[in-house]
Amino acid sequence: MSQTNHIEKLATAIEAMDMAGISTLVKDALAAGLTPAEVLSKGLSEGMRRVGVKFNAGEVYMPEVLVACDVYFAGLNIVRPLLATNDETIIGTMVLGNIHGDIHTVGKQVAMPVFEANGIRVIDLGENLNDNVFVEAIKKHKPQLVGLGTYMTSTFMHTAETVRVITEAGLRDQVKIICGGPAVDAEAARRMGADDAADDAWEAVEKIKKLLGRA
Amino acid sequence: MSKIVDQWVERLKGKLPPVGEMTHWERLAAAMDLKKTDMVPVAPELDYWQITYAGYSHKEIYNDVDKTTDACIKTWADLRCDAIWMYIDISHQIENFIPAEKRPEHFILRGDKDYLLFKPIAHTLDEAIALYETKAYERYINDSRAVTHYTPHMLQLLEFQEKMDRQVPVILGMATPTNYAETVVEVQNFLRWMVVEPEDKMRHYLNLCLQERLASLEFYREYAAKNGCQFMCLFGGARTWGPKHLDKFADVDRIFAEKVAEIFPYTFWHHCGHNLPKALDMISATRGVKGVQYDMPYYGQTVTWPEWFEEVARKFHGKQCAMNAPTTQLACHGTSQQVSEMVDQFIDATLPHTTACIMPGCEIDSFTPVENVKAMIDTARARRIK
Repeated sequence: MSQTNHIEKLATAIEAMDMAGISTLVKDALAAGLTPAEVLSKGLSEGMRRVGVKFNAGEVYMPEVLVACDVYFAGLNIVRPLLATNDETIIGTMVLGNIHGDIHTVGKQVAMPVFEANGIRVIDLGENLNDNVFVEAIKKHKPQLVGLGTYMTSTFMHTAETVRVITEAGLRDQVKIICGGPAVDAEAARRMGADDAADDAWEAVEKIKKLLGRA
Repeated sequence: MSKIVDQWVERLKGKLPPVGEMTHWERLAAAMDLKKTDMVPVAPELDYWQITYAGYSHKEIYNDVDKTTDACIKTWADLRCDAIWMYIDISHQIENFIPAEKRPEHFILRGDKDYLLFKPIAHTLDEAIALYETKAYERYINDSRAVTHYTPHMLQLLEFQEKMDRQVPVILGMATPTNYAETVVEVQNFLRWMVVEPEDKMRHYLNLCLQERLASLEFYREYAAKNGCQFMCLFGGARTWGPKHLDKFADVDRIFAEKVAEIFPYTFWHHCGHNLPKALDMISATRGVKGVQYDMPYYGQTVTWPEWFEEVARKFHGKQCAMNAPTTQLACHGTSQQVSEMVDQFIDATLPHTTACIMPGCEIDSFTPVENVKAMIDTARARRIK
């Protein structure tokens, strides 16, 4: 089988939510001579990109996207240890976590693979985070981006408080802050002091690229 | 008989100036009956907001029924909305599934102006099915907040409604089967299972959820309907489902809604989510549902708000009252002027096609400025319907 076929099979497996087959497909692709970076960027990430296109076209919805993400992660977990650490495809680092009071991981679980597939290194801080967790994470990881995940309208409203704490710690100028989740609103996010907001992961990638000057 | 209710009735009955030519009850009921009203009714979902507006913290009212009721009535007396929303938090949805000693580990009471957070009570579909098959919710109901807090609070508000001669209706809320199905396991787990679990197993789980909801409905028939409740808000789940999933599984909500509407003449449905156009089609065809509190479809939303208002109003023509505006985000973080403009846009786009009610698509956040809530009320009140 050609390397192109291996790549296509990987992308198709993500689209088809083939959890049972992904591990073998990744190993076969590596054995065929594809580099881990090629497996990730041309195969797995291409699959996530296609899922994004279908999501935005209303051809698939959140249930399918979540399972596709699980398949992506299953493949990523095999190639991640093999990837070079100085990967030039990385455009930025994000500390990502669910805002105080929100335990729903549904958005974050979709955002992480989509972000990683687009060159955004994600450090997952967890859920229901005290605002100071973001402050400590910014100090520790020196990210360019902070991602505030929120599933509900009421927790989205906590953005102002999180931004205030980051600002009072003197860190606001060091990071771009973007909110994500089904109930976010970009205008409201900006009024609360964040830089932007997106209600799906692919839209978020475009906005992140703009924030980083990489669009 | 409740002292707090009697105090308010003595203070208010016969002493309030009229608002328009109709009573609050008449106005909201007429809009939901698709009849002419003197002005567009205003009934924002103030359940969290009214607690802090009245000067209480959420911690303070957590176990204090009188203060909870006091907050709701005070808010209505000050603002004169066209309904009183019963205060409710999500504890009532899962407390009766778990023994008292286990509850603390499932709840986090957030800040003074915030609300209750819960952790899921089942992590696999088998666990969730077992909870329902063993009727765990019946075993632990008696000392749950559903019984100790919400039932007395509900009865107090209904007592106020009746003693005030039904000037203003009390709105109660019930979660739909899909809402419960998602809540007890966390939504992300449920969503995955719709894809990876056998369809008949999911169907079995949803049917169990439906049975529990129908049993709960009997309680509401006995304690709410018989005490005067006529206005019921259904809180839908399924907000991130696709059309295929709605077709496969959402019939449990439709069945439930139709049963609710047989008991409560003014039943309306709160629904938001990714697949809103499809969900609204389903809801607008549901027998007995007289209004829909809706939000924006979250993606593919190339339409403007006025265009979306009009699209929904056309869909509801001759069927339902459209309930929306402003967005809860705008209410919380916009200016009064922006709130007022959106209310006007909603009314302008809706009234040519169906009746309207000013009711943002979700609950008003505790941090929403008072002047913004007043702006939505004042804007609607300023417009008389000819």
